Amino acid sequence: MKPNLGADHALPPGVAVRGPTAWHRLDPLTKLTLSVATVVAVVTLGGVSLPALLGMLAVLLPAATAGVLPRVLHISLLLALPLAVSVAVVNILFTPTGSDVVAELGPLRLTSEGVRLAAEVVVRVLVMAGAVTLYYLTTRPDELVASLQAHGAPARLTFVIHGAVAMIPRLAERAAAVTEAQRARGLDSEGSLLQRVRGVSAVAAPTVSGAIAEVEQRTLALEVRGFSRPGRHTLLWAPQDSPAQRIVRWCIIAFVALLVVVRLTGWASPW
Amino acid sequence: MRERRCTAAVVLSLRGGSYRYPGAALDSLQDVSLELPEGSITGLLGAAESGLSTLCLVLGGLAPRVIGGELRGTLSIDGQDVREWPMHRLSESVVLSVGQPAGQLSMVAATVYEEVAFGPANLGLPRGEVMARTEQALDRLAITGLAGRDPRRLSGGQQQLVVLAGLLAMRPRHLILDGPVSHLDAGTTERVLGTLLDMAAAGAGVLVAERRTTPLLGISSNVVVMAAGRVRAVGSAEAVLADPALLALGIEEPPVLRTRRLLAEAGLGLDHEDLR
Amino acid sequence: MELRLESVSFDYPAGPRALDAVDLVVRGGETVAVIGANGSGKTTLLRHLNGLLRPAAGRVLLDGADGSSMTVARMAMCVGLAFQDPDAQIFAARVSEEVGFGARNAGASGRHLEAIVAQALDDVGLRGSLDTHPGDLGTSARKLLTIAAVLAMRTPIVALDEPTVGLDASAMARIETLIRSLAAEGRSVLAVSHDLRFVAETFSRVVLLDGGRVALDGPPEDVFDEAAWPRLRASGLEPPPAARLGARLGLGSTPTDAALLVAWQRTSGV
Repeated sequence: MKPNLGADHALPPGVAVRGPTAWHRLDPLTKLTLSVATVVAVVTLGGVSLPALLGMLAVLLPAATAGVLPRVLHISLLLALPLAVSVAVVNILFTPTGSDVVAELGPLRLTSEGVRLAAEVVVRVLVMAGAVTLYYLTTRPDELVASLQAHGAPARLTFVIHGAVAMIPRLAERAAAVTEAQRARGLDSEGSLLQRVRGVSAVAAPTVSGAIAEVEQRTLALEVRGFSRPGRHTLLWAPQDSPAQRIVRWCIIAFVALLVVVRLTGWASPW
Repeated sequence: MRERRCTAAVVLSLRGGSYRYPGAALDSLQDVSLELPEGSITGLLGAAESGLSTLCLVLGGLAPRVIGGELRGTLSIDGQDVREWPMHRLSESVVLSVGQPAGQLSMVAATVYEEVAFGPANLGLPRGEVMARTEQALDRLAITGLAGRDPRRLSGGQQQLVVLAGLLAMRPRHLILDGPVSHLDAGTTERVLGTLLDMAAAGAGVLVAERRTTPLLGISSNVVVMAAGRVRAVGSAEAVLADPALLALGIEEPPVLRTRRLLAEAGLGLDHEDLR
Repeated sequence: MELRLESVSFDYPAGPRALDAVDLVVRGGETVAVIGANGSGKTTLLRHLNGLLRPAAGRVLLDGADGSSMTVARMAMCVGLAFQDPDAQIFAARVSEEVGFGARNAGASGRHLEAIVAQALDDVGLRGSLDTHPGDLGTSARKLLTIAAVLAMRTPIVALDEPTVGLDASAMARIETLIRSLAAEGRSVLAVSHDLRFVAETFSRVVLLDGGRVALDGPPEDVFDEAAWPRLRASGLEPPPAARLGARLGLGSTPTDAALLVAWQRTSGV
């Protein structure tokens, strides 16, 4: 490839590839706004039917158009189900208030209020996991960084944000590596449920501390390559934003803000 | 192919450098002086805990700017004290590579091309210039074929080449490399060392720090040996590496020289030709 | 303990055959180096030894017992594996904890555990770093730490992935000595390495993997003999310097300096 100093020289094939579907090609800020808004909204909304509806509109529908529905379902169930189920169980068995008893198991009473509370928790957690997963599956980290920079965010800030966002899959990778290393030294994680739980807790602290150490190391390398230089950094390409998307983002933010205010002031009747 | 310059040779120089890590009780570097002329490769050798890596961090400017700690002495480029220079300004002249290649990737680039372009892009150069430098660096390291690949999915050896290309694209005057070939197999090592020779021939001043002597044998004009935070020997590669006192400093005797010595002791004299 | 791989084959989901009908027997006291180009299946092979990977075909047998019926934790009590990258496996906040982890899983505790940890650190030369945070150790020391962590498990078989990468000269000499003493104790050592000089000097047997298949299997004097050089070079490997010199001088196969000297002395009638 001979160097070409022309400004309109095209990027080689394979570089700056756009996503496969229209959803993928949306500006990362739009997708991020939707995911964050969904998480906030689902925490704010009460009941089971409204969060579920939100989940369908803001998670399942976009996931289907982006062709990632099976994976979103798979991953969010994997992530959320254990937590959701354990919280649900605690709620079911130990809800003090509740008069409509549905079943009894010795000293434990299963009330319909408890069941409903549990269902609310499960749906919430699932929708949150789904929103986060949808974002990760349809947005590359470099797209977010490019988008932030194109919108004028200082380079340093974009890397902090990117660091936070990229940390999560990295944590997962690192957890897998640490688990493997521990298994190779006799940690039994294949046995009973108790042993698996032990396995997870043995991995948590090293995963996080190792991830942090990695970030420190990487920051040094980034400094050498001028990432903290003040002023404009050149962008080779940027995701396509549009006025329409801008409007949609602000509408989403306004809607969620309204939701939060309404909830906090208890203005509307509890749903 | 050495660039002709009207100005004096750009020399990276450390005088009387002593450095202490933040919170440390003792200096990791003690009164170290070193000159890195352009257009040459200097080898830096030392056992573990010899201050090798610390010296690289100091020369590259990360210590104390990003890491903290206390540096006494003078670091200068072409006679100019660079103590007050912020990191990004220093990076336009000196770049540093330390640690495993995977840990040096930006993680922000989807392709090797973007990874290599990262440095020049951060310098705010015009888009065309960024692309030109990127393509030239990829070409120099013969990895143009990897341009569209995901840097995270490459082998360690390939990643090392990508990291080097990324540094090359910044067109630095000085390259400080801590352990660039220690994790590589023989083939990739050859390729990397060959590239360093090309860069030196084109005018860059290169410092290669390694814990094994063999990589430095064929490429360094000068070798500096460190132990316990101090410089213990400086000289031509041949002179320094053949010195039996090296062993006492924890430095490996180059296998080729070891073989020659053993054979000489057994009464067999061989000249250089036979030992290649 | 005898390690036996019977016609082991393995495929990664997205790739070509990583291991192709590999047959390998390692007996107690043997030291075996596995060499080959990148992607030749070396690391994949190591991961089969403790069950992290399970063969698609064939069996891994430990003293006749089929590994497929054992958990990784159980196999790890027989085969201690140290991975190539220290930073991908070190997880404790203190050297003593890191080294003690495996030993504790093997059932040691209290004073006995302390003694084992101390011994392992001594074997690799890290005695003084008992309470150090691994992050404060240099590159060479961190690598030694991963080896100590495996040693402390006192497994009959020790498997090392690139044990000399990142080590300085004295550390490397230590590892060479360590491997010899493990063999003398009757334990077996399997190591993947691209440092052929280290391999020739330290191991009694060398296995060349090429495309997932065993291409060569024998003592260093056979594997590094001139007749085998085309095979080695096809895998991107260069014979060790002593072998090359010995061939040039017409002294036959001399994989190590010692062999070179002996051969020279013999031919010159000394």
